[in-house]
Amino acid sequence: METSFNQPQRQSKVGILVMFLYTLQKLVRAFFPLILVFLFKTENLNWLYVIPSILVFISLLGLFAYLSYLNFTFFIDQESNEFVINEGVFNKTKTTIHLDKIQQVNINQSFIQKIIGVYALEIDTAGSTTKEVSIKAISHPLALALKTRLLENETVTTHEFQTDVVPEFAPENTEKPFIKISFWTLLKIGFTSNYLRSIGLLFLFYTTVRENLQSISDDENNAVDTQIGDFLEAQTILYGMFFVGFVLIGIVLVVNVVRTLIKFFGFTVSKQKGSLLLSFGLFNTKNTIVKPEKVQITTITRNYFQKKLDILEIKIQQASANEVQNKNNSIEIPGCSEVEKDTILNLIFSEIPQKGVMLKPNWRKLVFSLFLSIGIPFLIYTFIAIYIEPLAFDYVFLAVAYVIFVALMVFVGYRNNRLFVNDDFIIIQSGAWDVDNRIIEIGKIQALTTSQLFWHKKPDIGSLTIHTAGGALQFDLGNFSKVKAYINLWLYEVESKNNKWM
Amino acid sequence: MNEFTNNPIEIDQLPRFEEVALKGLEPKYIKVLLFNFALFFIAVLGGFSALFYFNQELFSNTIWIIILGGILLFLVSMVVFTLLSFRKKGYAFREHDAIYKSGLIAETTTIIPFNRVQHVAVHQGFISRKLGLAAVELFTAGGNSSDIEIPGIAKEDAEKIKQLVMGKIQQQL
Repeated sequence: METSFNQPQRQSKVGILVMFLYTLQKLVRAFFPLILVFLFKTENLNWLYVIPSILVFISLLGLFAYLSYLNFTFFIDQESNEFVINEGVFNKTKTTIHLDKIQQVNINQSFIQKIIGVYALEIDTAGSTTKEVSIKAISHPLALALKTRLLENETVTTHEFQTDVVPEFAPENTEKPFIKISFWTLLKIGFTSNYLRSIGLLFLFYTTVRENLQSISDDENNAVDTQIGDFLEAQTILYGMFFVGFVLIGIVLVVNVVRTLIKFFGFTVSKQKGSLLLSFGLFNTKNTIVKPEKVQITTITRNYFQKKLDILEIKIQQASANEVQNKNNSIEIPGCSEVEKDTILNLIFSEIPQKGVMLKPNWRKLVFSLFLSIGIPFLIYTFIAIYIEPLAFDYVFLAVAYVIFVALMVFVGYRNNRLFVNDDFIIIQSGAWDVDNRIIEIGKIQALTTSQLFWHKKPDIGSLTIHTAGGALQFDLGNFSKVKAYINLWLYEVESKNNKWM
Repeated sequence: MNEFTNNPIEIDQLPRFEEVALKGLEPKYIKVLLFNFALFFIAVLGGFSALFYFNQELFSNTIWIIILGGILLFLVSMVVFTLLSFRKKGYAFREHDAIYKSGLIAETTTIIPFNRVQHVAVHQGFISRKLGLAAVELFTAGGNSSDIEIPGIAKEDAEKIKQLVMGKIQQQL
């Protein structure tokens, strides 16, 4: 594969198609609600106008795609050791990346690219806030060759990289993955996790759809609204709520399962020169490399159901140049067993972090959380019931249910909140239903913050925040003398050893 | 509880960050605070008078007086609060790390080891420049929450601190 990249070259010819489809996809996505409303609201569409305008639109788009294909060139400048990309139809952009600055080169495939049979090559640079660079259409051998060339400067890479990066299309080259998450496991995960996030997504979806519809077609929507209103009035409100509750739970479960399946289908983890290579996705196949030295926070999450089923989720937060990127740099491994978890931890830390000495939060934390989550809402509720709307008293049973439920959650959360310290690791455990165990290596500490309210001086309690390049962790109201002693120890470790944290 | 078995370092003998004598900010810095405060004061009172002038019928006179009293009380307590918290601010540069402490109600201490500092910045506001003061900022890879900004340091000291920290960073490379 001695392809030379020293001369400016274009993407694959089919790249035109890819660019065309991408732009189309972007436009359709942006104007989706408008198009929908347009199609449904306008009666007697005059196809004589619509079809030609669509044709003109598409040919313009095609022309644009062709021009952007023509103007997109890339090459490696041997003399200055830089990778140069020229792009843009109206606004020309020239991006140069010094080869030393390249952290990672990913070869991915989205749904569109899968159909057409090309790959995307994405270049990750660290330490700067410059935008990542991506080449959208490139054949597989070329992508591999380019990747090898780009990473040649790095010490531990080259040939093995070629063989390992290949996704499922070239099985003869792939190293055998040591974890394969089955369809069945993904189903289990879908059923047992992320309830809150799904509810949030549903809510977001509902509000945006509603807003879009309402702003354009007021009358029709009102009709729907009154229908729902009538329906609710006809039933007793309690019955309605149960109904809504059941439907909601059903939708959440379905959404969860579908989302998990689409996102993580065919999840495999394999080893590659001491790094983890993850590959997953039903429509968009994603390949990510996790380098152990870049890992900052490792979170192991499990709830009651998942414990019974022996599955857990691992989330890995890597170092990032700026905080905006933070989200992209967190990688999830859904559903692995206890044994697989140990294998992964072993790869990342070269040992399995043990929970050492345990610190508990002071009972004041429990009281304070109870006050925040129950005391204040309860006061507001009573205030409203007494002074504003006496009807609120009819729902006392709901208030009681809330109090019992939240009190239980807060109490369990308090019981689970622990700080574990041993020679090399800090583990913070938290959460009521989903119990998180967040692991940091002491060498990865960036800064430490303590905070103490002045009336907490006497009982000797205070809070600790541990900052890493992948985010901060907090432990509230622990024994302050002990916390300070640990801080002195950690500072000693960090300052005397000069560990690499990235 | 058996603490630190298998560990050759005695935790009691480690230098303690909480016992380091902290250096207070330059007293001149109070002027900067008071100036900023005066600006705020003028803005709030201006807003209040404008409202009173154009919309006098909004409340009865007693209520206006109560509101004015409330605002004044709030502003005065803010001055007191600022002055008190000024005395709580302090910093120290040890051999291997920087410590900054602040906060009146919640005492917050942040410690950054020099081998985690990404870069150092010295900057001056308008009034600070007139008074020969500067702020030193230390940035780490931990993001905004872990960076520290020490205001109210004499300009030449600030430059010295910057040189010191830069020197420490260079050593590590």
